[in-house]
Amino acid sequence: MFLGRVIGEVWATQKNPDLNGLRLLVIEALDERSDPGAPKVTPVVAADPIGAGIGEQVLVACGGDGDYAYEAAVVGIVDDFDVPGAPDSWRADAPRLGATPEGGRA
Amino acid sequence: MHICTVIGNVWATQKEATLGGLRLLVVRPFTTDGDGSAETMVAVDTVSAGVGERVLVVHGRAARHAIGKGHDIGFQTAIVGVIDSMELEGGRIVGQTAENDRSTGGAN
Repeated sequence: MFLGRVIGEVWATQKNPDLNGLRLLVIEALDERSDPGAPKVTPVVAADPIGAGIGEQVLVACGGDGDYAYEAAVVGIVDDFDVPGAPDSWRADAPRLGATPEGGRA
Repeated sequence: MHICTVIGNVWATQKEATLGGLRLLVVRPFTTDGDGSAETMVAVDTVSAGVGERVLVVHGRAARHAIGKGHDIGFQTAIVGVIDSMELEGGRIVGQTAENDRSTGGAN
């Protein structure tokens, strides 16, 4: 399980039936953002049964048991955490690296 | 599950028996700063993906489940979906192929 931040959502029509009806979120691990200028790592796509939104910090569980054709799921939305020494980029309001600042629509 | 771009095909005649009849594709993991991972992987295609398309790739037991040949198969990476589109923060729209990428974000 890891701490991540929701950075997007994916849609797919042509897919394994196990993915039917599942909301799929694109999630970046918090610790991947701690080193500005570092090469980006591929984000994880996780099934989201609990309704997390873009920008929210979430708990992601990984590792399927082979019963389904996916192996990552959002299992919690983080209210708060206390990790002494965690970099500033872990803060929920940290500036986003690699994204357009003020990129949202009016 | 990861996002990857299909970059090619692989064929092998002489192979482990459980791999018979499987379509193998070479994929490159997607990164938020482009499609630029240096790493590539070989994945079993279960959804008729094509070269250039962005796909969902699963690993481990989930991949074996998707391949549907039981847990004795000597492979644990599979393509389970072809991405129609993806919306990333900042209004960035990532399409099925790189040609369909666009941004709805603010003026540059």
